[in-house]
Parts: sequence; structure tokens; C-alpha cells
Amino acid sequence: MNRSLAVAVAVSALLAGSLGAFGEDSVIKQRQKLMKGVGDANKTVGKMVKGTDPYDGDVAAAAMKKISNVPDQYVKLFPKGTSNKDDPETEASPKIWEDMKSFTEKAGKLKAASAKAADAAAQGEDAFKPAFANLTKVCKDCHESFRIEKEKKKE
Amino acid sequence: MRFRHVLWIGVVLAVAVALAFWQVTAPETISAEALPRHAPDVANGEYVYYEGGCSSCHAAPASNKCDDPKTADKKVLAGGRCLRTPFGAFYVPNISSDKQAGIGGWTDLQFVNAMMRGVSPSGQHYYPAFPYTSYQRMTYADALDLRAYLATLPAVATRAPDHDLPFPFGIRRGLGLWKLLYLDHHQFSPDPTKSAEINRGAYIVQGPGHCSECHTSRNLLGGKDESKAFAGAPNPEGRGVIPNITPNENGLGKWTQEDIAYFLETGNDPDFDSVGGAMVKVQENLALLNPEDRNAIAAYLKSLPPLPNAVSKAKVKKPEADAPKEEGEKPDPDAQTEEPKTPY
Repeated sequence: MNRSLAVAVAVSALLAGSLGAFGEDSVIKQRQKLMKGVGDANKTVGKMVKGTDPYDGDVAAAAMKKISNVPDQYVKLFPKGTSNKDDPETEASPKIWEDMKSFTEKAGKLKAASAKAADAAAQGEDAFKPAFANLTKVCKDCHESFRIEKEKKKE
Repeated sequence: MRFRHVLWIGVVLAVAVALAFWQVTAPETISAEALPRHAPDVANGEYVYYEGGCSSCHAAPASNKCDDPKTADKKVLAGGRCLRTPFGAFYVPNISSDKQAGIGGWTDLQFVNAMMRGVSPSGQHYYPAFPYTSYQRMTYADALDLRAYLATLPAVATRAPDHDLPFPFGIRRGLGLWKLLYLDHHQFSPDPTKSAEINRGAYIVQGPGHCSECHTSRNLLGGKDESKAFAGAPNPEGRGVIPNITPNENGLGKWTQEDIAYFLETGNDPDFDSVGGAMVKVQENLALLNPEDRNAIAAYLKSLPPLPNAVSKAKVKKPEADAPKEEGEKPDPDAQTEEPKTPY
């Protein structure tokens, strides 16, 4: 009994160790997590703008701040060899690496537009709506040039 | 003596085949008598221009890169954009009102034959990269109104480069055979069992909107596979996929009609993820339509038979997972994986 317990402990310790070593997210996963966070925040406020949910300035401002924190981390996660050409799991177009300057500029625009929208959120729905529309434009502008559509499939 | 006979028979056969080829590949056009008299409505022409998104291809690219997804000025239709397809590179022509470089010198009949029969004023076939298989569904009124609107846009004197197509795709005459298979000369006819709204949407989607040109997959000949209509396709211009827009669970099944209309208006999907790629320009043009027409498009898409995705991730070749990833070993990062081949 004691012995098997010891074995179990040892095995789980080993497993935990290897998870520590190998369980870290790849840059692609990290990028996707960050972008998922942006998407979730965008959905929270999008539903307010669309009128599905009631407008809440504090929630909207927090969501926009969350988005504005992403670009600085995000742009650091694009080492060579991590485009859709290398791994079909990522939607990152090889064009990012052809024009990293433009890509970084667009990330800067996301930061600025979301920060501005966070300020506007406090001033009420009327001020927020155009700021949100501008943010959508920034999203589209980058996705037009640098995102590749993956097949969407329920697993 | 005998050899001579065989030779003659061979020559006669070859001539007969060539004549037959010449006959069946002859461009078919709409006659002047068939074209109704029509007082053009320029405002409607502008509307058709947004339905069709003419500028998405025909406006000059924003930079000196011919495949820049951005356009310089939506109203300056100087052409020059390149479409890199499995058949070769197409260069989009100038359709500005310039009389030499553009289409300013064309007659209405020439314009309608270009749009709806894929035949140039000099009687040559156009490549179906120009989506006349969709435009043949349009009304003459819409085509002529569009023509009148295009005439109001600025003239640009630059010519686009010639297409760069490998043999045998460089032989335009051969397109006559292709047209026998894929150009039926039918204009849109409403389905009396469906609502007026669905029929209006069907007209925009099948005709000027030419949605199936990207959203329907193609066979080896480059013809649309109608059994998989709107079920998605490989991206004709390279990587990624064009999504399934039938109401299947992997398509627009979970989207409401309102969700689709909202997406076309704002570019936000139900999860508030934004539109991307070539669809951005399409969406921005459709955002200029009346809300009723966006609703009609959505109603029609919801009325389609739900189909599974026509392209599957499984078919896209995966890169060698175990390939060494050391920097020094791959001087050309592009060489390490093969481009997934689009099946057309």
C-alpha cells in the first residue's frame, strides 16, 4: 500500500516536472490566447453597442483597457518560422514577416484606438459608439492584410 | 502509295477537328436587337457598383505591390492588381472611362457582352477570373445603369500588364469550350415558391454580388462545383480558406438572419471578431447598400441547403512536424513546406 503510494507520488512528481518543461505555451498558443482575450473584451462591449446588452460605462472602459494592454506583448510573439506557412494552426499570414514595420504600426493603432475608446467609455454611450466603430476599423485593417482564414470546424 | 493515303486522311481529320474547334469555341454574343432600350439611372448604377464591389479588383492597389489587399482610391479604376491563381497570374484591366486604356470608348452593347458573355469588343473570350458567369444573371437594366455610372468616374491612361499564364491557359480561344460547360446564358429568374425578400437576396448574391465565385469550390477545369454551392473553398489567391456560408453548423448555421445582416453592415461576426482578408472590401461595399438588401442577402443565405465544408483541413498538407527548425538549416523559410495546392 505504502509502496504504491510512493510510486504514485513519484510518478506524479515526474509528470508535474515534465509538464513544467513542456507544458509552456508555444508562441502561437500565446498569441491566440491574447487575441482571444481581445475578442472576448470586444464581444462584451460589442453587445452593448449593438443593443443586446445595456450600456455600462465602467465595464466598457475596463474591456477597452484590457485590449490596450495586449499589443505591446503581442508584437513580441512573432519570431521567424511561426506563420501559417509553418503551422496551419496559426492564422498569421507570412506577409507579417514581409512587412513587420507595417504590422507593428497596426498593433500600435490597436493600442491607441482601444485606449481612446476606454476614455470615451466614461463619457457615455454616445461618445463611446464612434470610438468603438473606429476600433473595429483598426481590427479590420490589420486582419485584411495579415490574417489568413482557417477552416472553422466544430471538433 | 498507301502511306500517302493515310497521310491525307490524317490531314483531313486534323483540319476537320480544327474547324470543329474553331466553330464550337466561337464567342457567343448578345445581339443589338436583344438589348432593350433603357434610359440609364446613374444612381442605381452606383448602387450596382457597390453590390458588385467592382473596385475591389479594378481599383489600383494602394502600394507598388500588385497584390496589396488595399486599394488606392475606390473610384479610380486603373487596374493593375494581380491575382495569383493556380492557372497563372491575372492582371486586372483598367476599366476607367479612358477611351484608349479603359472602357470609355465602348458601346453599351460591347459593355453588356463583356459583363454577361465574357466577350471583349474585339470578339475575344475573357478569362472567368472576370466573374461573367455570375454577371450573366443580372438584369440588362442593372448592367446598363452600371455602365452609365462607370462613365462618370475618372479616366486613367495607364494600361495593366498582360496576364501571365502558362500553356495551355494562355490560349483564349479554348475558353469557348469552357463556356459551353459553365456559361448557360440564363438571367436570374425568381423562385415563385420563395418570398420576395429571399428572391431579392438571391439576385444580389447570384448576380452582381458574385458571391459564389469565391465561396463555391471549383473542379479541375476551374468550373464551380454546384453540388457544393456556397460550402466554402480554398482561397484562390493562396493560403487559407474561403468560409462555408450555407446554414451548416460549420457555416452560418448558428448565425441568425440578423447576425448575417449585422456582419455585412459592420464587419463584426456574432462573436465580435472582425472580418478579414479579401472580404473586408466586400463587406465595406455591402455596408453601403440599403438595410433591406443586406437583410435580403441574409435571408437568402439562411434559405440555402446546409452543406458540410467543401474543403477540409485534413486535405491541406501539414508541414513536416519533426523537421529540424534550426535557423542555419533553412536559408529559405518558404522552402520548408509545400504550398497546399488548391484543387483547381
